[in-house]
Amino acid sequence: MTISDEAALAAGFDRALRGRGVVAGTRRARTFAEVLLVLPARTASELYWRARAAMLPSIDDLDAFHAAFLEVFGSLGDADALQRLVRTVDAPRREPRDLPKRESLPPPPSDRPADERAAERAPTQWILASSDHRLTDKAFEDFDETERAAMLRLIARVRVAAEYRASRRRRAQAHGDRFDFRGTLRGASRTAGELLRRRASARRERLRPIVFLLDVSGSMEPFARALLQYARVTAVARPAVRAFAFATTLTDLTPLLKRAGDDSLMSAIATSVRDYGGGTRIGAALRAFNNGFAQRGAARGGTVVILSDGWERDDPALVGTELLRLRRLARRIVWVNPHKRHAAYEPLARGMAAALPYLDAFLSGHSLRTLEAVADAIEGRIA
Amino acid sequence: MPNSIDVDDLRRRLLGAGYVADAGLATALACAVTLERAVLLEGDAGVGKTDAARALASVFGAQLLRLQCYEGLDLAAAAYDWNYGKQLLAIRAAEGSHEHTPDLYADEFLIRRPLLAALGASRPRGIVLLIDEIDRADDEFEAFLLEFLADFAISIPERGTVAAAHPPIVVLTSNRTRDLHDALKRRCFYHWIGHPSVEREIEILRLHLPAVTPELASDVARASAALRERELRKAPGISESIDWAQTLQLLGAERLGAEVFEPSLGSVLKYPEDIATALASASSIIASAGGDVV
Repeated sequence: MTISDEAALAAGFDRALRGRGVVAGTRRARTFAEVLLVLPARTASELYWRARAAMLPSIDDLDAFHAAFLEVFGSLGDADALQRLVRTVDAPRREPRDLPKRESLPPPPSDRPADERAAERAPTQWILASSDHRLTDKAFEDFDETERAAMLRLIARVRVAAEYRASRRRRAQAHGDRFDFRGTLRGASRTAGELLRRRASARRERLRPIVFLLDVSGSMEPFARALLQYARVTAVARPAVRAFAFATTLTDLTPLLKRAGDDSLMSAIATSVRDYGGGTRIGAALRAFNNGFAQRGAARGGTVVILSDGWERDDPALVGTELLRLRRLARRIVWVNPHKRHAAYEPLARGMAAALPYLDAFLSGHSLRTLEAVADAIEGRIA
Repeated sequence: MPNSIDVDDLRRRLLGAGYVADAGLATALACAVTLERAVLLEGDAGVGKTDAARALASVFGAQLLRLQCYEGLDLAAAAYDWNYGKQLLAIRAAEGSHEHTPDLYADEFLIRRPLLAALGASRPRGIVLLIDEIDRADDEFEAFLLEFLADFAISIPERGTVAAAHPPIVVLTSNRTRDLHDALKRRCFYHWIGHPSVEREIEILRLHLPAVTPELASDVARASAALRERELRKAPGISESIDWAQTLQLLGAERLGAEVFEPSLGSVLKYPEDIATALASASSIIASAGGDVV
């Protein structure tokens, strides 16, 4: 094998991975080529582990990696042997995170003909100009198709929630609370060792995380769309935002939040959530979130926003238990239930009744105006 | 570049150092050492990520430098700092004796923290730098590591760039409490350490606890595997099953039976809810443990 053979092999493998939505990148491909050069693989198994150490970006990408491996190296040698190898490797016990596949996304909006996009935008802007005030108090479920597009754009104008806490990191500040030895001495070296100027530092501030847990089952769907759009807007504007969808199982939407370049992607996110429109298991979803994310620090010091009507299919006691746990892991829990907008609303759903004692704020969040209140509640300012 | 490391040979030497590595881990480590690049080990808590670095250091007879990460970890704690007290004294002393101001940034005033110290290896593979739980550090520190891992050099404004004559072996570990930036991951070899198979766990237990009988080691490994299949808040890692086997041995047990199951459970499960779950199905866990010795 000459150098170019290894490079070609690595590049081809990178291409195959990319075809399956895994972006390993040129740097990894170069590393892989170098590995093959210094540590030549003698068996299929050796080749597999070399490829995996160099080219696998994350354990979540393992399935795509296996497929690409079979495609590229299956043609080089005994395809059946490779198949067996991929199947028998000591796979991790932990299930990879259940992410929607990237290839299920539609092509970026720029690929569509320009006139089609213009046609879609024109009526929207007209509504936006003429009826902003009318839409402000309208419940998200009462929007028709054309208004909905305008609504998604209007959500971008809702204030982005941002709450800060003191960071352990410091920055230079003339009147900071801690004397800066290093800065002062560096300054002294410019004045012949004379300590003329006192320098000090103060703590920096950090954004507290926000986690959205969205019930996407049946009647919640239009509200989940709106809140997901708000999550998207927030995630683009600031770091430390995560979003999850649940109905029967919990799905992490975080990687899609910032990748979505167009409003039409909202529907792609919706369809890629496998259990969209099914029944609701709130307690089980909360437990999955607590075990897999909150306990590992995803909600620590931050606000968790839960959207649900509280109709629990299983035991409602589990909702209470898991919320109690979440209360210890997060700083604040905000529950959004659109039914609360009705004057006669009472928390009769058993899951809702079980949840109430553990909430810091309980809001309707059903319209653009009440979404502002959700932003306030995330920051702990409750009207 | 120094000579390359054979994967199987490294695996054997790791075993000699008391660490059972599978083919994947051994490959990732061998690649990293040979190509002088960092290796990122991810996995649940207690699966032996930190121990891998320790074993690697012992294999190469290298010095192990450990840097525990936390939020707000800055250069003064991670890379270098100046000895301000000494600098001030030097200024005063120079004033008193009417000498020139001394060089305040000479070696004697420099305090070397793990990252800078890791650049000072006197021979190839002389230092293993363990950057532990990198997911606990913040973005700023991750960004700083990019430069460090690319060039094995640190720029000190007062001194210029310090580069390593012999790059250290760098092992990063992450519990995956958050995802790392891809820019950092691209610069590393990657290996996910999963929970071990029963056979491998028995091997690990016997290696770590020579006094534990083969029967007890087998029981503990099987019971741990059974526990991991249940829905727990925190499934036991290898370090927990080692603790468990040790506890059982201290209790004088030769097999994992019902009489020692409950008293020893606190060494392997750390949540009251998990202990309740395990006790509810105690008999089936003990039954799955009591198989024939492998």
